[in-house]
Amino acid sequence: MDKLIKRRTAIRHLLIIAGGAMVLPACYRNSGKASIQLQNLTISEDDENLLAALTETLIPETTTPGAKSLKLHLFVLKMVDDCYTTENQKLYMEGLAGFNDFFKKQSGTSFADATPAKREEVLKVIQEGKKKDDPVKKFYDITKSKTIQGYLNSKYVMTNIVKYELVPGRYNGYFPA
Amino acid sequence: MANLAIDSVKERTFDVIVIGSGASGGWAAKEFTEKGLKTLVLERGRPVEHVKDYTTTNMFPYEFEHRNEIPRKEQEENPIVNRCYAYHEDTRHFFVKDAEHPYVQEKPFDWIRGYQVGGKSLLWARQTQRWSDFDFEGPARDDFAVDWPIRYKDIAPWYSYVERFAGISGNRDGLAELPDGEFLPAFPLNAAEDHFKKALKEKYPNRHVISARCAHLSKPNQIHFDQGRVQCQNRTLCQRGCPFGGYFSSNASTLPWAQKTGNLTLRPFSVVHSIIYDEAKGKATGVKVIDTNTKEEIDFFAKIVFVNASALNTNLILLNSTSNRFRQGLGNDNGLMGKYVAFHNYSATISAEYDGLLEYKTDGRNPAGGGYIPRFRNVFKQETDFLRGYAAAFSARRKESRDSKGIGETLKDNLAKTELGPWQVGSHMMGETIPKVSNYVRLDKNQKDAWGIPQLSISVEYDDNDWKIREDYYEQMREMFDAAGFTNIKTQNTDRRPGLDIHEMGGVRMGHDPKTSLLNEWHQLHACKNVFVTDGACMTSTGTQNPTLTYMAFTARAADYAVSEMKKQNL
Repeated sequence: MDKLIKRRTAIRHLLIIAGGAMVLPACYRNSGKASIQLQNLTISEDDENLLAALTETLIPETTTPGAKSLKLHLFVLKMVDDCYTTENQKLYMEGLAGFNDFFKKQSGTSFADATPAKREEVLKVIQEGKKKDDPVKKFYDITKSKTIQGYLNSKYVMTNIVKYELVPGRYNGYFPA
Repeated sequence: MANLAIDSVKERTFDVIVIGSGASGGWAAKEFTEKGLKTLVLERGRPVEHVKDYTTTNMFPYEFEHRNEIPRKEQEENPIVNRCYAYHEDTRHFFVKDAEHPYVQEKPFDWIRGYQVGGKSLLWARQTQRWSDFDFEGPARDDFAVDWPIRYKDIAPWYSYVERFAGISGNRDGLAELPDGEFLPAFPLNAAEDHFKKALKEKYPNRHVISARCAHLSKPNQIHFDQGRVQCQNRTLCQRGCPFGGYFSSNASTLPWAQKTGNLTLRPFSVVHSIIYDEAKGKATGVKVIDTNTKEEIDFFAKIVFVNASALNTNLILLNSTSNRFRQGLGNDNGLMGKYVAFHNYSATISAEYDGLLEYKTDGRNPAGGGYIPRFRNVFKQETDFLRGYAAAFSARRKESRDSKGIGETLKDNLAKTELGPWQVGSHMMGETIPKVSNYVRLDKNQKDAWGIPQLSISVEYDDNDWKIREDYYEQMREMFDAAGFTNIKTQNTDRRPGLDIHEMGGVRMGHDPKTSLLNEWHQLHACKNVFVTDGACMTSTGTQNPTLTYMAFTARAADYAVSEMKKQNL
């Protein structure tokens, strides 16, 4: 029993490190609900899958891990849930709800069924949108900025790509640029 | 039974009681225990053992749930502490949350506190500059507050004494207004900071940019190894507590040192209610403590009491120490206790860009933070329509940016690359404020804390002199930045509330005359000579220096005096 608890705790810790959020292993999931506990946002399994696909479109898996395997969609949710104002959370949820409709209107297909090229094309339209406080744009902007933050601050990137030094042990004010 | 009671009193009797374990309290502990005195250090907060209790110190950014951001709900619940520059997910366990220890703001005041063993010495910005006689003679020359009862020559050897032990890095710059100390090698200025230094030298003979002097072991000596500390590793994660002991804190330095003597008793979870005064003996006999776990009231006894509870809490304890003899607070015969509180004016910053020296960037991190500009206004003579002046921090770094416009693989590739922009330079002001009778703290008549002790009520605000100082800072810095070829110069009013400088001082000021001051030249209460105050509460004026080094030197000097007086049976 002890061992089992320890193993579960260990898995949980691993996942916390991986995605910055509490994640339960897939077998614990009840279909229809998000895989992380949130205080303020109500997120369905479909929402979560959409978000996973969106973040993966932003930062896809290549020879190195992408957003989905780094669980950045869960990091985005965690941050929006804990660190954003109620007003922005509301806009975010509205944007999330309206995202697929907007996408369909632009491309004639759902985000999930669209080709990567089509996805990029529509996302660019949203990104360049000028309408202030447009929920879809707000949802997209927040998702993108938090995905980037989560990516750059992920263990993988900080260990392998843009290395973070915990103990530099030096300072040079005249380093060749 | 009677014997038991006697034993119990014996167990609660020490040679010295030190209230507070922060930078100055830690020094008192070290000095007294080294001199063989049984010393009780009272700390209101929890224990924090060096290294062991630095729970976040080796964490990587991705190990923080919110990547070091404080969640919104916590921010809303604790607006005061959240305004502090050092308060983040990695350091929050060392700060007092607003609701835990409320106080009354008659005027807006951000009171930042660290209730644990080591106090704010874990959290300080580690900037350490000596005062000069241009500071000590300020009140007398410019006719404000009262004359300091000491001068630079009185404290200079004690600055040296604490600097050698604490480890202060800096250059011997040879400036009369900022005396040199016992320095470890300085952390050098970077290319753009050096450029500003040279540009100023050409145009302004009395304005200097120096390497910021700081309490970091750039090159430790044997005395630092003896403390178990090693070279600073340039992490600049200092406020988490440093596993290398790279910067000075009570936890890394003075407290373990005191512990080794066998003469230290450190008692955490001990809120001081008041100092006990014995009318027949005409002196203090001990301290009344409330154990925060058991709520039990316990008296401790000693021949000497050092009050190092942090500036405003020292005021609170003394004001709450009432007796028949002292009805308005211990040693408060003139009614001035709690008055003439002052702080440092941090209400202005300036930033700009520099397009030169682009062949250089910085590598690694600078724990000193960059450069320091000592006060240059009204130093050698009065030259403006405001009193005193300001020091300024100055630092530069190359701007690094990433192209995040793309989507997909383009974005992913671009995030791996950084583009070096121009140098970004910046400065913030550290203005002297004038202590005034109208800036005060007092005990609130109605509100009590969780232990039945009156809450502190704070009434401190800026005045016209502070705004004139700010205008001058904007004007002079803009001109200096311009002379150095900086562009895109922007000044900013930071809207800082008093207190957020975390340099609150005064209320129990030193002076020659018991009618106009509370403490004498040895930090003794004029009216109760075995009680000493050597933290920020003793300050007669504020100078423009970061004050902690001065408190540490004051403490070592006063402790030395207390021991010699005790030996002469004068205490």
